[in-house]
Amino acid sequence: MITFSLNGQAVNTDVPPDTPLLWVVRDVFKLKGSKYGCGAGLCGACTMHVAGDAVRTCVLSVADVAGQEVTTIEGLGTRDNPHPLQQAWVEHSVPQCGYCQSGQIMSAAALLAKNPRLSDTEIADGMRGNICRCGTYGRIRQAIRSTVEKRANK
Amino acid sequence: MTFEERTSESQLSRRRALKLFAVTGGGLIAAAQLSACSVTAAPIPLSKSGGVTDSALLQITPSNDVNFYLPRAEMGQGVFMGLTTLIAEELEVDPDRIIVHHAPVHDAYNKPGSSLQYTGGSTSLSAHFTQLRQVAANMREAIRQAAAKDLNVAVDHLDMRDGRVLHGDANYPYGRFANSASRRSMPKKVALKTASDFAVIGHDRPRLDAWEKVTGQARFGLDVDFPGLYRTALWRCPATGGKVKTVNIDKAAAISGVFKIVRIFNGVAVVAEQQWQAKQAAQLLEIEWDLPDLAQVSSPELRQAMEQAMTDDDGQNAHFAGDGAKALGRADKVLEATYWAPYLAHATMEPMNCTVRIQDGQCDIWVGSQMPDGALGMAAHHSGLPRDKVTVHSTYLGGGFGRRLSSDFVAEAVAIARASGVAVQLAWSREEDIQYDRYRPVSLVRLRAGLDRDGRIDSWTAKRVGPNVAAHFADDNLETIAPEFLPWRLSDWASKRGYWLFENLIINPASVHGLFGDYDIPNQSIRHVTVDPGLPIGYWRSVGHSFNAFFAESFIDELAYAAKQDPLAFRLVHNGHDPRMQRVLRTAARKAGWGKAPPGRFQGIAAHNAFETAVAQVVELSLVDGAVKVHKVTCAVDCGTAVNPDIIRAQMESGIVYGMTAALFGEITVDKGAVMQSNFHDYEMVRMDQAPEIGVSIVPSTAPPTGVGEPGLPPLAPALGNAIFAATGKRIRELPIAKQIEIA
Repeated sequence: MITFSLNGQAVNTDVPPDTPLLWVVRDVFKLKGSKYGCGAGLCGACTMHVAGDAVRTCVLSVADVAGQEVTTIEGLGTRDNPHPLQQAWVEHSVPQCGYCQSGQIMSAAALLAKNPRLSDTEIADGMRGNICRCGTYGRIRQAIRSTVEKRANK
Repeated sequence: MTFEERTSESQLSRRRALKLFAVTGGGLIAAAQLSACSVTAAPIPLSKSGGVTDSALLQITPSNDVNFYLPRAEMGQGVFMGLTTLIAEELEVDPDRIIVHHAPVHDAYNKPGSSLQYTGGSTSLSAHFTQLRQVAANMREAIRQAAAKDLNVAVDHLDMRDGRVLHGDANYPYGRFANSASRRSMPKKVALKTASDFAVIGHDRPRLDAWEKVTGQARFGLDVDFPGLYRTALWRCPATGGKVKTVNIDKAAAISGVFKIVRIFNGVAVVAEQQWQAKQAAQLLEIEWDLPDLAQVSSPELRQAMEQAMTDDDGQNAHFAGDGAKALGRADKVLEATYWAPYLAHATMEPMNCTVRIQDGQCDIWVGSQMPDGALGMAAHHSGLPRDKVTVHSTYLGGGFGRRLSSDFVAEAVAIARASGVAVQLAWSREEDIQYDRYRPVSLVRLRAGLDRDGRIDSWTAKRVGPNVAAHFADDNLETIAPEFLPWRLSDWASKRGYWLFENLIINPASVHGLFGDYDIPNQSIRHVTVDPGLPIGYWRSVGHSFNAFFAESFIDELAYAAKQDPLAFRLVHNGHDPRMQRVLRTAARKAGWGKAPPGRFQGIAAHNAFETAVAQVVELSLVDGAVKVHKVTCAVDCGTAVNPDIIRAQMESGIVYGMTAALFGEITVDKGAVMQSNFHDYEMVRMDQAPEIGVSIVPSTAPPTGVGEPGLPPLAPALGNAIFAATGKRIRELPIAKQIEIA
């Protein structure tokens, strides 16, 4: 039995311990916002926060998060109570197909939490692990920039 | 198993027709004429909510819900917003208030002008532009007339605004009159607004599907789940088309959670409680294959065969003007160049998947599809049930780009559900997605052109060698969709000859479109030679334009240099007949500062007409220690009326990045029929640190809207190659570019 915190709730599961966290969250706990994209940690669609770090959960065994705090896109914010990045994503009409965007936002949120004054180079380097086939990179960059600027002006 | 035999037979018919590396002769150009079906009432569950409806697309309920049944698939291109905008404009309802549903499969949701319910060809907005505004205007008038009757006032005393009926100081929600309106006949042909009255069209607001997609709430095919659903993983022959000869399931069956192992037409599937278990077990299957002819094919030999065909075969005439190639003989200067573009995978972010439940003589499938009626036909075929016992539940698509026009993965999922007797979700891995795609076809093209003494192009000839998309699509789909689109009992005939048609009789327009037509040249000859090793191919964003624009617009650049003219001026001299093209070229050049690149920066320009839209792009790059760094892409587009300007900009950005990935990195190769690339480490994508700044200008226009989903892609590769030539003097004639020059 593996126990961890999922979006603030204690959960436990008896799936084989080598099962990737992504599939446990999606198929056991039915949170479908985190996506499968590559199964190899190459595209970032499955990104969640584990103890505040952005992690590729398609290659992370559920056993490795025992006792840890896991946050998914569902736990980051909602339409009624959004994270500033989700708000910025909407204002810039970032999503196209939308499939990669949970992972993009989770990566950006972790970056921003560690460094509220992200430069363009830091955005480029920090976000290069997340692939978007619709080519929304320019808007992602703008959405992050605008969030950084809003925070700086506060 | 009769089901297995039928499937094998249809695939064999292609194999026989295929004739490895076959070449062709004679023929004519034709496009399949699709019949128009009548629109009949759609099954909207009115009994539950009541109110007034046009029978298919739009419904206003007494509780004042406005339901819009979205007839096209949302795959990122923006129909969710674009088509809702058309409704909102004439209905006089805020777009955010309209509840958008993915439409079921029904004739009523066929694309206007087509008898199929497909989403492709960059046509959604143009096809629905008048239809949906008319539906909404009629509905608005129905409410207005009902309100006049109920309130006992003259119709022209009522104004309709923001979802409310205004009468003097009083106002009422539309829904109040919905039942009353439903008892009256729906007005027809209500006058539509003129462009100057547009209040929603042409104005920007955030995408209507944005909130769902930034909070993880949008539901894609892979997110479908319900009690009793099993997960399945399929093991196929490395060379597509191979059949199971023998299988040993002992090791796979020992994995915990495995429920059943079944054999279907193209492989062996493990059905398990969880995705991870199914995948782990499938890898332990020991299968011996009957290899297909494709297993004799490897990329180097294919290239040789194509080069041989280029030399040996005269091909079929695809287009001819003036004296054709004969005119080359009187040219002042003749240029010749050979270009190459490889097979490409689509690599949608959401890998192919389909969820199926067959129960009590009914088959339900959940799938994100660009052709849900094709998916339905495929499900009927493989479930053995009649079409009216199949229901398609559509979802958002995690990318389409043409890949989801094909229903090969639907066939697999339905076959597994039928064989296993339980509801299953088939989720392809990324490796499967890259290795069993319907690829963009490989192409070899030889261009020859003659310049006259004034440096004008007098003759333009091209010969394209490669396989034809329509042939594969016909073979894949005719037996399932033919009953819908071939009304003359020709489906059986056609299903056995679909491939042959394109090999021997018809030139597939998608093989040659974009190789000619953008420039006014008196003498032209375009010829085509079919060489096809049988690797499955399909529609890939902008189809033939995606490679033909690279060939034609790079070669135009070569001609400009040969004529010692500026590449922009040279183009403008040759497309005076096309004012839209002239405008986008001038606009892109002005915005980019064409010819005035800062020191160390180099520019390349290209323009292309595709899907009735003109797009020009200027790429600006520099060399960092000899490696190419793309800084900026400046794009101008003329797509007629700009319904959602920001979505047009987004689609240009999208086409540019997708095109840049393809131009820089994209290449699928085969070794003994097996695709050698497998995931994003060896099928690379442009990522954030390589994504250029993109500026998009929309040329103002009051013409009817034209496509935007695909036309942003074709100019990128040639503009990039032309910029590399400007920077290095090296002419890019083969893709991908990263094989020839380092990318920063």
